[in-house]
Amino acid sequence: MTRYDVIVVGAGPAGLSAAAEAAAAGARVAVFDENAKPGGQLFKQIHKFFGAKEHKAKIRGVNIGAELLAEAEGLGVTVFLNAPVMGLYKDREVLVRHADAVRRYKGDAVVVATGASENMLTFPGWTLPGVTGAGAAQTMMNINRVKPGHRVLMLGSGNVGLVVGFQLLQAGCELAAVVDAAPRVGGYGVHAAKLARTGVPFYLSHTVVRAEGTDRVTGVVVGQVDDTWNVIPGTEKRFDVDTICIAVGLSSSTQLLKMAGCALRDDGAGWLPVCADDGETSMARVYAAGDVSGIEEASSAMIEGRIAGAAAVRKLGFVTEEALAVRMAELESALESLRGGMFAPGRRGKIPDKTDEGLPISASLLSRGYLDDAEVDQYPGVKKTAGIRPVIECTQNIPCNPCRDACPKGCIKVEGGIVSLPVYDEKAGCAGCGLCVAACSGQSIFLVDDDTGGGAAEVTIPYEFLPLPGEGERGVALSRSGAALCPAEVVGVKQSPAYDKTALVTFRVPQEFAMKARFWRKEAVV
Amino acid sequence: MRLTNHPILGEAEARREVTFTFDGRAMTGFEGEPVAAALKAAGVVVHRYTKKNRSPRGVFCAIGRCTDCVMTVNGRPNVRTCVTPLEDGMAVATQYGAGEEAK
Repeated sequence: MTRYDVIVVGAGPAGLSAAAEAAAAGARVAVFDENAKPGGQLFKQIHKFFGAKEHKAKIRGVNIGAELLAEAEGLGVTVFLNAPVMGLYKDREVLVRHADAVRRYKGDAVVVATGASENMLTFPGWTLPGVTGAGAAQTMMNINRVKPGHRVLMLGSGNVGLVVGFQLLQAGCELAAVVDAAPRVGGYGVHAAKLARTGVPFYLSHTVVRAEGTDRVTGVVVGQVDDTWNVIPGTEKRFDVDTICIAVGLSSSTQLLKMAGCALRDDGAGWLPVCADDGETSMARVYAAGDVSGIEEASSAMIEGRIAGAAAVRKLGFVTEEALAVRMAELESALESLRGGMFAPGRRGKIPDKTDEGLPISASLLSRGYLDDAEVDQYPGVKKTAGIRPVIECTQNIPCNPCRDACPKGCIKVEGGIVSLPVYDEKAGCAGCGLCVAACSGQSIFLVDDDTGGGAAEVTIPYEFLPLPGEGERGVALSRSGAALCPAEVVGVKQSPAYDKTALVTFRVPQEFAMKARFWRKEAVV
Repeated sequence: MRLTNHPILGEAEARREVTFTFDGRAMTGFEGEPVAAALKAAGVVVHRYTKKNRSPRGVFCAIGRCTDCVMTVNGRPNVRTCVTPLEDGMAVATQYGAGEEAK
């Protein structure tokens, strides 16, 4: 039997963070993961993360994964791959299946970071090839680089559904619709708006009636639900799709904790381990971190991992109580700030009427996925000034502030906590550099110049699709809802390492569309 | 179905092409990619038929959890194709039932 100071189960964001934290204190750490590659689901997250600098905001998940892995390996952490943990027993004995043999290990502390798996939705036809988890689609396109399908329907409007929906568009798939039985978009409004402006329709209060096809999905029928969740006859709509993605939440993978005998509690949506603030379960020196201890974002999983790692090495005597207290205060405040806002874990399902600032929460954004043109002006990121200016269409309290740090002129303020709505300070003077446009993880910042002469205005949008338009290319400006507004000529395309793969596309429209045009599409060739 | 270029991930890196068979038919894929990815790229979506109802199944979770995508690989049934790396010369076959026919 091989002994380690700390054994971590799972090489995802929480596990690698726990390992790095413990190894940095001098502990001998081993990480076991059943997969051939480390990183868990982090390497398929190709979008920019939310949060603040301390949460690695505006960095893409895939790059955070690479950084984290390098950190852990640099600190001497041993990562065993293709090594599923089969059992966790009394006195923290860990049984691992390697390719050649089953081996026993002993950890003076064990951090279980086994993550979560996708929830399923059953309906007639749900077992047909072509019905997949949204995470499966993400794996196919972002890791294996194979399109999951040509035309896709997304079931579920939480952040997973919205983010994967956008990634499907980036992979060149068509997204037929986003469907959710709930009456409101479940994820961040900014994620919904990214899809809506490209023309993806949202069907809230709708559910899937059946998938069609004999050997594979050839279509899907959805219908509107009444207040008892039953489909209202006559409301059925059919879509020609070859793929149906299911994004209806995640469940913590608590199997290992359960077999070890850790106390579990029913949180209403599933069983979760009973944990102290530092992640310690009912078994001494067995910690749970990341999604296994409750579903949240990868950003919070990384902090939870560090908290568990720090607590474990303190228990083992690698750091002093004082040093731990300092580190914990840091980590806990980082976690606390991520858990604020209208989508906070504690607030699940309850959507307030007003923002923390007392402004109305857009009902249009919640029910259709985009802001109504008439609502935009009331938010503090939108002010009408002459010349080029940022128009920040960030209208919900979500934990994020890279826009503030991006602006070299200090034009953008996010004050009183990172969930506050960004404020455009017109006195600071926008230089039109576009760094805020690229930094906004929600792609909700645009540059607008209402008057560039001759009755024209210019709008700059973040653009993460291929092919990139060229200067002088003619196309169509689309509204927030994805409706064609007017012809629009591209007058600028900017790329920069500072933008991190987000291109800035500037197009010219008649002045009356300056505050309406939010996407650009190449004209369909007739 | 292959994504050769991607707005965020860039150009796909060069990988070694290998030959394998699907139900005896010659196909190509990239060495080390999941068998399921090579099949998907080749347009194959039915991996197996269930034992009782003979109903088709394909890739569902793509991370080795659900076992919906199992096939008979090199004569061995119940291989999770979404997490099994493709090798040169592999014989991949549609699985019927629990793979009794494989023997």
